[in-house]
Amino acid sequence: MIRYLAGRLVTMAWTLLAISVLVFVIIQLPPGDYLTSYIAEIRAQGENVTVDKIAFLREQYGLDKPLWEQYLVWVTGLMQGDLGYSFEYNQPVADIVGERMPLTLLLNVATVIFVYLVAFPIGIYSATHQYSWGDHGLSFLGFLGLATPNFLLALILLYLANVWFGTSIGGLMDPRFIDAPWSLEKAASVLSHLWVPVLVIGTAGTAGMMRRLRANLLDELNRQYVVTARAKGLPEHRVLLKYPLRMALNPFIADLGSLLPQIVSGSVIISAVMSLPTTGPMLLSSLRSQDMFLAGSFLMFLALLTVVGMFVSDVLLAILDPRIRLGKTTIR
Amino acid sequence: MALLWTAILWAPALAEQAIAETSGAAFGEPAALQAAVSAGDLPPVSQRLPERPLVMPVDAACPADRLGGTLRMIGGSAKDTRTLSVFGYARLVGYDENYAFVPDIAERFEVEEGRIFTFHLRPGMKWSDGAPFTAEDFRYFWEDMAQNPQIARFGIPGELLVEGKPPRVTFPGPDVVRYEWAKPNPNFLATQAAALPFELYRPSHYLKQFHETYADPDELATLVEAEGQRNWAALHFKMDRGHRNDNPDLPTLQPWKLATEPPSERLMFTRNPYFHRVDAQGRQLPYIDTVTLTIANADLIPAKVANGEADLQAAYLSFPNYPFLKRAEARGGFEVRRWESGRGSHVTLYPNLNVKDPAWRRLVQDANFRRALSLAINRDDINKAIFYGLAVPGGNTVLPRSTLFDPELPTMWAGYDPDAANALLDELGLERESRNGLRLLPDGRQMRIVVETAGESREQSDVLQLIHDDWRRLGIDLLIRESQREVFRNRIKAGSTLMSVWTGLDNGVPTPATDPAELAPSTAEQLQWPSFGMQIETGGEGGEAIGGSEALAPLRELAALRKRWMRTDDDAERADIWGRMLRISADQVYTIGIVAGVDQIIAVADTLNNVPKRGVYNYEPGAYFGIYHPDGFWFDCGASALAGKHG
Repeated sequence: MIRYLAGRLVTMAWTLLAISVLVFVIIQLPPGDYLTSYIAEIRAQGENVTVDKIAFLREQYGLDKPLWEQYLVWVTGLMQGDLGYSFEYNQPVADIVGERMPLTLLLNVATVIFVYLVAFPIGIYSATHQYSWGDHGLSFLGFLGLATPNFLLALILLYLANVWFGTSIGGLMDPRFIDAPWSLEKAASVLSHLWVPVLVIGTAGTAGMMRRLRANLLDELNRQYVVTARAKGLPEHRVLLKYPLRMALNPFIADLGSLLPQIVSGSVIISAVMSLPTTGPMLLSSLRSQDMFLAGSFLMFLALLTVVGMFVSDVLLAILDPRIRLGKTTIR
Repeated sequence: MALLWTAILWAPALAEQAIAETSGAAFGEPAALQAAVSAGDLPPVSQRLPERPLVMPVDAACPADRLGGTLRMIGGSAKDTRTLSVFGYARLVGYDENYAFVPDIAERFEVEEGRIFTFHLRPGMKWSDGAPFTAEDFRYFWEDMAQNPQIARFGIPGELLVEGKPPRVTFPGPDVVRYEWAKPNPNFLATQAAALPFELYRPSHYLKQFHETYADPDELATLVEAEGQRNWAALHFKMDRGHRNDNPDLPTLQPWKLATEPPSERLMFTRNPYFHRVDAQGRQLPYIDTVTLTIANADLIPAKVANGEADLQAAYLSFPNYPFLKRAEARGGFEVRRWESGRGSHVTLYPNLNVKDPAWRRLVQDANFRRALSLAINRDDINKAIFYGLAVPGGNTVLPRSTLFDPELPTMWAGYDPDAANALLDELGLERESRNGLRLLPDGRQMRIVVETAGESREQSDVLQLIHDDWRRLGIDLLIRESQREVFRNRIKAGSTLMSVWTGLDNGVPTPATDPAELAPSTAEQLQWPSFGMQIETGGEGGEAIGGSEALAPLRELAALRKRWMRTDDDAERADIWGRMLRISADQVYTIGIVAGVDQIIAVADTLNNVPKRGVYNYEPGAYFGIYHPDGFWFDCGASALAGKHG
């Protein structure tokens, strides 16, 4: 087991290194650099930018160095925990990302809880009542959720929330509470804004999870041990919860790997559409303006979370499911 | 010596003299600051204002204790903090509403021979942190920044050079500064009054802590380290970005100063307690205590405005939002106003005379080809279909409000005459192919013009669709290629783009004293001739010479005329030069203007007063709301308290 873990850790390090090169190259791929977008922007405001000034700025931002050198500076910084410096915000990346983290976590944890709370009962219900009206009806709703474009749903719900409840459009709280100290009123305002993005981001996930739980559970329900348990006279809910449901849970633990980065990055598009103060829109805008250290460090952070998440889920699976044996070749 | 002066002396406004005579009389203490003054945290208003404040001809009907409130605005990104230093519009010398230069931070100024500029500062004026604002702040910028080899790595900033020569800067008194060039510097005052001015002064008391000459080396090294900068010059550069307005510690002279540490979703700007203007009653401005800038997705901003979430909003509202906002007026408690746009044209096509493709290059450099393209466009239809018939069809030239306006020019080569256009193309020997009716280039390719857009404006794409149909009748196909602003500009500069679409003249309301740079090759950023512009900008180092070909003769004349404009300071001659340049531009159709006079939509809260019913919304000159002095806007009595709560 320990050897297996050590091997996994080494692979993780290599993976991350490869990702860092990829990330850096991809950010640099579009023509130009942060400065060209910055200049295009001030130019569009009617400013003249002289050739001298461009050279000056390029040097100030360290963009005059060759690419590999910029990469090395960035990676060595990363290893020491220095995420680099954002050109656009003119601040260390850690500060900018840190500021948006709490609300991002709140939003995405709320979404995950919402997804589990809704998907589990429905998934179990439709598996145990296969092909009933309830199963068809709920599956239909689930497919609707899966098929509706999220951003469209977001806009419709924003409109309705505004017209029906007078909720301010976009954001996670009423503008007057931003940067205000926490109070009951502020918490209420956050809650009244939170449900729309949670619902929107959650629909697709809920639908997917419902279907998976249903399929897994259906597989298990016809197994002989279930028949045996029933024959022994166990009450129906105990039969269900004690054995097949536990078996059906494996995929959810395997999901942990992708869940971790999701909790941090949130749904980028929805957050941008609804202008939520999460990390998503920031990532998007930094990619657009080629603010490479902000975008790069952020993507690296997500990559790290994915890799760690995968690792954790593999280990958890091994612990929870005794049938899975790690690192041992099958004995012939 | 005095006799030689062709000096122009700006006397302070009459009202100001009246106040100055009664000075010592109580100036009004803003209610919001009363508590701080009573507690002794802030000196009383009479000690905060300069000896002779600038008296603005504004008045608010509210008693002083009911003025104030919070002005809510919405921005599209955290970088919009800079809009406040644009709107605030406190300048050494500013424009008045007729675009004449008036003293503002300077109490008065003198110009001799167009080359010696003397500014008299207001004695006793202070920065927003209470430190005195004096000639020392000018000296600091001139000696310790503009001439410092580490800050000004590439020499003295170009704005301060006339034909490559720097000025002689002297300080005849603690409150007097003088800039003296050997030759006239016609653009100097304009750079001071600009929306983004070239500031000649810096808060030296604050910045010295980051400057090698003044700071303790060890402390400076620690600061550089703590801020993660390369060296002290980079740190200085970071701390000193008054335009970006993103350092809450940087002292300012603007009416409002940043109070929130960016980045934030809601930026607050609080009043500068040392602001140098007072109203007609002697009450210190600004009337409004706080300005908030909430950051939202640009696409959501019209909806938020309709919901009444802004008190004054123009940015991110475009003409197509007009009906939507008009319907929401009552619900949102605001009024939609239409302000004149200051641009020469709202949608303009830019044929790239420096395109790399040789066959196309020869064609677009031919005036008759450009004229044919322009004549084939049915501008009336475009106006009706896209702008509800509220715009003015016509070419890209100055607006009627400018004194340089020539009524013949907007319609020159801009009528709808497809037959004439076809005749012009036939004359050029561009044969039509019989199969699909497209004309052929001399090398046998079909004529397909790819028009590139920056992909930011739906209107532009809609207009291009209609032009596509018009040009199709000429036998020319039009393809639209949407890209991104940076890519868009880079491709044009590289000559990969044949034609692009953008707005017209940035300054549609020039005076004879405005540099006619937009009409002649002048910078590498010009969409119609980037390489020629670069040649002029770099003094022949980069870009491409205009050359001696017959087709480009008018272009050479434009460049020569601009040079002549630079050398003269006679207004009549300048007006004459402008007139000739405008005529050449219209006749040569270097840019194909489609429609002008598309108004800017402005949402103004019902409770907000002093915002003009109709103004000109322009960045340069005008600083958007700047020349209308937002420090003089005020909320209805009582509404300010309400707005404060809502804000």
